[in-house]
Amino acid sequence: MKKMKKTQLDEMQEQKLLKIEHNGCWFAFWGLLAIIFIQILLDHGNAGQNVAGEWIVFMCLCIYMLIASLKNGIWDRRFQPTLKTNTAFSAGGAAAIAIFNSVLSYVRYHKMAGSIAAGIFMFVMTFVICMIMFSITTMIYKKRKEKLEDMDDEA
Amino acid sequence: MARNIPIKVARARLDMTQKKLAEKVGISRQTMNAIEQGDYNPTIKLCRSICGVLGKSLDELFGEDEEHEEDEKNAVG
Repeated sequence: MKKMKKTQLDEMQEQKLLKIEHNGCWFAFWGLLAIIFIQILLDHGNAGQNVAGEWIVFMCLCIYMLIASLKNGIWDRRFQPTLKTNTAFSAGGAAAIAIFNSVLSYVRYHKMAGSIAAGIFMFVMTFVICMIMFSITTMIYKKRKEKLEDMDDEA
Repeated sequence: MARNIPIKVARARLDMTQKKLAEKVGISRQTMNAIEQGDYNPTIKLCRSICGVLGKSLDELFGEDEEHEEDEKNAVG
């Protein structure tokens, strides 16, 4: 196998490039999410087909970041995976999805009661799914962190 | 972060420009300048390379620098 070409950057430039790539990654993340929501909101009928490409890239990005972080025993810069923060983030995400679905339902069917019901249903569903996912990932994170710390002790 | 006066002094004693020192250490002049200005905190590996080129110890160039801060204050004042 051919060796990768030696880097042309020194350590400060390398750090700056990492920062640029970091910003680019989050720009792509939020940009893709915004595009997916806007396309679903504007499309009538075949939104699923139209956002498939963006959705696949977005999910690959999310899954990669999730697996890479868990593998390295990293959760977040600022928050710890506690019941309080998991509940707060689940509620935040569920609220965003509920509002989006209420608006979508109202734009499509013009029925206020129906759109509120859709919003409540989506809130509950999203909240439950997020809490389950947070619980599973928290468990994996704690196990991984423990293992990494034990490995460091042995080394 | 405080400016790194000892590097500047050691470099001047050897009559070396920032560019020449950067070339010898194997970094860009931009990075050398950032280290001297205190805008970038180099790794221990890079610190050792700079010390090697300037013929100084880590303590002399990157040690706790109450004295250097005093020097800087005097230079500014």
